[in-house]
Amino acid sequence: MSLKVIGDDDGIPLSVKPERPSFPRTVSELNPNARNAVPLQAKKNTILKSHGRPPWYGEDGLPICDAFVVGIAGGSASGKTHVARQIVQKLGSIPTVVILSQDSFYKKHSPEEVILAHQNLVDFDHPDAIDMPMFAKCDSDLMLARRLRRDVKERGRTVDGTLDQYLRYVKPSYDNFVLPTARHANIIVPGSDNAVAIELIATHIRRQLKDRSTRFRQQMADAGPRQSLSVTPSGSSTPSSDDGEVCNHLIVLPQTPQLKGIYTILRDKETPRSDFIFFADRLATFISEKALEHLPYRPKTITTPIDLEYKGKELDTTYVCGVSILRSGGPLERGLRRVINDVPIGSLLIQSDATTGEPILLHLALPQCVRDRRLAEEAWVFLLDAQANRHRRGAFMAIRILLDHGVRQDHIIFVTFLVARKGGICVLRRAFPDVKVVCGAVDDGLRETWLEAIEEREGHTGAEARKVWVVEPGMGILVIDITCDRRLPFFTSIRHTSNFIGPTLMYDFSVLLQ
Amino acid sequence: MQMTSPTFANTSPSFPSVFTLPHTPQLEALYTIIRDKDTSRGDFLFYSDRIIRLLVEEGLNHLPGSSYEGVGFEGKICGVSILRAGEAMEAGLREVCRSVRIGKILIQRDEETAQPKLFYSKLPQDISQRYVLLLDPMLATGGSAMKAVEVIMEAGVPEDRIIFINLISSPEGLKTFCTRFPSLRVVRAQLCDVFAHRLIFADALQITGWIDEGLNEKAYIIPGLGDFGERR
Repeated sequence: MSLKVIGDDDGIPLSVKPERPSFPRTVSELNPNARNAVPLQAKKNTILKSHGRPPWYGEDGLPICDAFVVGIAGGSASGKTHVARQIVQKLGSIPTVVILSQDSFYKKHSPEEVILAHQNLVDFDHPDAIDMPMFAKCDSDLMLARRLRRDVKERGRTVDGTLDQYLRYVKPSYDNFVLPTARHANIIVPGSDNAVAIELIATHIRRQLKDRSTRFRQQMADAGPRQSLSVTPSGSSTPSSDDGEVCNHLIVLPQTPQLKGIYTILRDKETPRSDFIFFADRLATFISEKALEHLPYRPKTITTPIDLEYKGKELDTTYVCGVSILRSGGPLERGLRRVINDVPIGSLLIQSDATTGEPILLHLALPQCVRDRRLAEEAWVFLLDAQANRHRRGAFMAIRILLDHGVRQDHIIFVTFLVARKGGICVLRRAFPDVKVVCGAVDDGLRETWLEAIEEREGHTGAEARKVWVVEPGMGILVIDITCDRRLPFFTSIRHTSNFIGPTLMYDFSVLLQ
Repeated sequence: MQMTSPTFANTSPSFPSVFTLPHTPQLEALYTIIRDKDTSRGDFLFYSDRIIRLLVEEGLNHLPGSSYEGVGFEGKICGVSILRAGEAMEAGLREVCRSVRIGKILIQRDEETAQPKLFYSKLPQDISQRYVLLLDPMLATGGSAMKAVEVIMEAGVPEDRIIFINLISSPEGLKTFCTRFPSLRVVRAQLCDVFAHRLIFADALQITGWIDEGLNEKAYIIPGLGDFGERR
């Protein structure tokens, strides 16, 4: 069993409880052969996949719902915080469930909180905005006793002072203002000894959250020929769809002999790994160069070493950063670093749910210039994702996250090796028409497949069954996001796994097992 | 001395097989950085490497072959750098063409006659079988470049297998260079439609990042970027 430490916002561990992993499945359950091979200990480490955040936006890229707000009112020291923490604990301490105390608005927020606050700040004061109003009820003598102890112990006040304050302000305002709010509450919870109540509430919230998660994945892949892109290979692109929609922000690199040669090497499943890495690297640098052309430039006059004036140009940006979608964005990271000196690069981990294939946000580490709301307006972001397979929905989510942070849509440049003519990219472009997409090639097909069977064939033990989308002919799965041997240099995790010519995709996992 | 306008590169159809990179604001910004005399060495290295990579990428597009379904690239290549500034471009070449063979040529100007003289050359033995990427960042008078082409041709490489890659060239140098090879025809084109022309006309190729205004009395390119080798 794994031990999960639940801390509150002060960073003090609130409690330590053994947590039973109910959602995550261990691999040995999937693979009967592995059960014998892997010692029992291996089960201790489980992947907490249930902790991810499902999409909070629709197919059109707009947020579909505000955060689910549970309001807890109650008298001073009636156990509001305690109830809140208990609920969070019961929900499994999911990172996307946050406790916002009224004081929190005066403190520094985490990005997640800012997103929530941004969406809800305006409405917070009205009970209608609260999806689930609750009232923590407690005997007033118990409240007084607790308050007395807390103020004296933790806040260093005197008993007299506390009592004085209580009688003069706290008690009257409780009776006049706080207690009447109880009639708005759906649920009245005792401030202590409330295990059953908490359990009921947690179940209710869980159900609510589940109902809210959207399923728009199918629509993205089913985007039929009506929505396919027509791309001229001349370099500048004129993608359009039959319904008259013209999008001019898809930039495909000029299909030069070199570029075609590189793609042939990358697509070939016989390509040795070292070659694959080299050419992926070279391509990443080249694409990054092309992507940089879409930044703004302003005139600048300089003096050359032979003391002549020269009217040139310079970059007209304040903040430029990269955000890489783990882990397939990895190869592009290096390309970007070779083009922009010391560029800050953040990362996002978006996994797809094993059964539904829905993208789930698991990890968010954005560069400072995106995290800080004031800087985000100025920031230009290169969103890096190597290939348009399953992660196209990841890209969708990533763009939504960037917009939530205040990055301007036309400041986002999405850099990728490959896009599929149909499917997600069309949805992406319809939802976020101002996002520029820079890619090296456009492929025709998009097909759904299961990853599970392949891994079992190789006796692969780190994997979990997943539905994925693959681009055809594609270039295989660039980066396997299932296992990663940290001792190896970064690029060894690059995969080259497709069969370019063949009717079906072949996967070759042997490299990973070396 | 004939001075030409800064827009020269984009308008004049007088240089046949000379291809310049598309003059995007980005490329202009890169050149602004490396021309600036206050640019630090680290920045100079970083940004000149970026230009060199772009040049080599473009230069390789002028090799024949390699259709989409076909395998790999046709024809072997090698680099030849003109010492010593050309050496600075070797790393950029290697970043694009891994483990490429690189030969070296040392040509210096005779101070009295101002004529280029060959001091040293070390070329790959099978150079006659290869396409040659000739590396020299600056083309001022064109003297040493022409000398180098002569040396390479003496080693058995046909003229049309030589691709000369440089960052900055002067119109004078280009003119001399192109007059030296009269078979060259004049096509001024954007890079994307260059390929067809090359198949019909060009013999020796030159890829240049920028064509500058001209030369001053000391045969420095103006506005130029100073001594490339010195600044690295």
